[in-house]
Amino acid sequence: MQFLNDNRNILYSFGIIIFLIALAACTRNDEPELTPVHQATPYTFEIPPGFPTMLNIPEDNPLTLEGIELGRYLFYDTRLAGRADEGKFMTCASCHIQENGFVIGMPRPHPYGLDGDSTHHAMLPLINLVWNPGTYGWNGSVPSIEEDVRAVITDPTEFNSSPEAVVEAIQNISGYPELFEKAFGSREVTLDRIARAIAQFVRTLISSNSKFDRYLRGEIQLTQSELKGFVLFTTEEGADCFHCHGGAGNPLFTTHKFYNNGKDTLFTDPADRYSITGDPMDRGAYKASTLRNIEFTAPYMNDGRFNTLDEVIEFYSHHLLWSPYIDPLMHHIANGGTQLTPSEKTDLKAFLLTLSDTTFINNPKFGKPEKFPDEP
Amino acid sequence: MFRNLLNTLPYQEQCHTSVLDRLILFMSVMIILSLSGCDGEEPIDEPDNQSAKIRISFSHLIDDQPIDFDTLKYVNEAGNPYMVNEIQYFISDVTLFRNDGFARIIDDWKDIHYVDTDLPATQTWEVYDKIEPGTYDSIAFTFGIVPEKNISFMFVNPPEKDMFWPEYLGGGYHYMKLNGKWLPEGQTVQTIPFDFHLGRGQVYFSYPDSITGFIDNQFNVSLPASGFHLNSGETKEIEMIMHVEKWFKDPHVYDHDVFGGYIMQNQEAMLMVKENGHNVFTVKIKD
Ligand code: HEC
Ligand code: HEC
Repeated sequence: MQFLNDNRNILYSFGIIIFLIALAACTRNDEPELTPVHQATPYTFEIPPGFPTMLNIPEDNPLTLEGIELGRYLFYDTRLAGRADEGKFMTCASCHIQENGFVIGMPRPHPYGLDGDSTHHAMLPLINLVWNPGTYGWNGSVPSIEEDVRAVITDPTEFNSSPEAVVEAIQNISGYPELFEKAFGSREVTLDRIARAIAQFVRTLISSNSKFDRYLRGEIQLTQSELKGFVLFTTEEGADCFHCHGGAGNPLFTTHKFYNNGKDTLFTDPADRYSITGDPMDRGAYKASTLRNIEFTAPYMNDGRFNTLDEVIEFYSHHLLWSPYIDPLMHHIANGGTQLTPSEKTDLKAFLLTLSDTTFINNPKFGKPEKFPDEP
Repeated sequence: MFRNLLNTLPYQEQCHTSVLDRLILFMSVMIILSLSGCDGEEPIDEPDNQSAKIRISFSHLIDDQPIDFDTLKYVNEAGNPYMVNEIQYFISDVTLFRNDGFARIIDDWKDIHYVDTDLPATQTWEVYDKIEPGTYDSIAFTFGIVPEKNISFMFVNPPEKDMFWPEYLGGGYHYMKLNGKWLPEGQTVQTIPFDFHLGRGQVYFSYPDSITGFIDNQFNVSLPASGFHLNSGETKEIEMIMHVEKWFKDPHVYDHDVFGGYIMQNQEAMLMVKENGHNVFTVKIKD
């Protein structure tokens, strides 16, 4: 949609409703279906004002009401791991907890899998991922949410299970085959369908109603302190965060790009961005993850080293470390940081807190279903 | 103190749209969707026998050689050893001047083009416009975006949206981000990043808290030796070449030790960048 991408500015002034029917018209469904005439109900997707109009929805997995509903059950059903026979229960929501912006939260910097091993990195939230260009994970190695689901199943630090066990577990729970039929046209449970349904649900997890969003829409005013924090956030002379984390012109509050933000001088993590690209400049680089709902998603950074936003702000103000790999956008490295004063730190934090979206963490549609398909 | 900001409720100001407008908008969106299919790319339209096409490619040199990115091997006019990590910029309103006085602006599909040294797809622009055949004397363009078109929030999609210029500093978009590092005087190892960013400058009542006005820094580039003949049915290849070292050279010798790592709030520095930009580009046109 180059037209939309172009400078016909008026178009962006309000929400453009794109009916996925239009998109669905150009999707191909390669999966052979047992019932060829099956039609699930297309999901109507409303793009919030100022948000990108280009969505990352794979051609072969358009959003449907039935697919999303199924995905939500699976996301919350702890039998998904396929290890109930051992008395072990886990699913996505075991780690991705809505009230924490879909991270596990404090006090565990790294979550543990079903067999007690902790994940390599700290968590990433599940917020506005329908706009991720296909570089999921701290180092961008995961090409799609569907792929992520497959990886979770076998990862020794997560389900540590097998696709067969997962498929069998779901197939044997009464009620699920009917939901698969509604979503995909037949009662057959497959790994592919499980992955697709969960991915559909995750793509609906959209946060666009923070205090800052309402300010941008002209509905409310920010306090003086929040406004000062906003100015600091978006000025080089101030806290200088916007080049990597966005702002009004990039309301996702992530560029989805990878940077070395000066936390260390030696880089030994075998799973940084460098491990994916082989480009020496990517040593110690990770995705500048979204700052939306940052209040809820502690601990911070890929290794969970900071427990509070105050620690993060201290770090960017005074404790940057030089290395040859530091990103060129970290120009305050010359002084070890942006040297914010105590009152500036307070203002910056006040601004960061305007990115909290309580309607997102309380939205019942994103939460645990009242009952599972086999419950009366 | 925050007067500018308080007056800028970004989305609101353009919201005086009626239901009818919305309907028209919605219908045009649907029409565009159906015309352009699912693809976000500029459509390719073959030249017919009344017209010709142009394809513009962008290349970036330092001291006449392709850039070795991320490598501290260059020295600028001021004597600063430096490297370049990435260059991102907009050119717009490309205009072809024909020898009979006719001026053809490239704007049928888009009038603003984004170039990114990390994104090869942006380095070739298959111009949609059908161009009238004839003999053209020269090519000109705007480096950056003219103020009337440099409107905040007009780009909602990456990569263009990431060029946004903060509202508080004047809004719109960066014309250029040239990011690199230099070795300061007296240092042997520890390079410092420079973010050579050009966009709207500010007039300060008291720095950096109180802004009283803005200054647009886009500029017009007339490419030397850019005449060519266009036959009907042909696609002309035009290579625009940015000579990076010239940003630091003429008429102002730009010294990173003086201006430091960042200049978005430094109109004096941005003015030098603007004035140095006049001869940064050259062009090569294939016969
Ligand atoms: C054991 C805890 C755990 C479980 C269970 C888990 N995740 Fe995660 N998830 C993580 C961690 C940790 C990360 C960050 C991984 C990294 O990048 O190293 C993550 C990252 C992700 C991401 C990438 C987000 C981004 O912004 O790039 C997605 C998507 C995701 N998980 C989806 C899921 C889904 C869907 C499930 C269920 C099938 C699931 N996760 C189950 C811990 C978990
Ligand atoms: C050069 C780019 C860059 C700049 C500038 C920058 N950041 Fe970051 N930020 C990152 C990267 C990269 C990460 C992830 C690093 C990691 O995980 O190790 C990050 C992580 C964070 C996190 C933790 C996110 C999470 O989910 O754990 C917060 C909070 C944060 N930054 C706030 C800020 C603030 C506030 C500023 C301005 C003072 C700022 N950043 C400036 C690149 C940047």
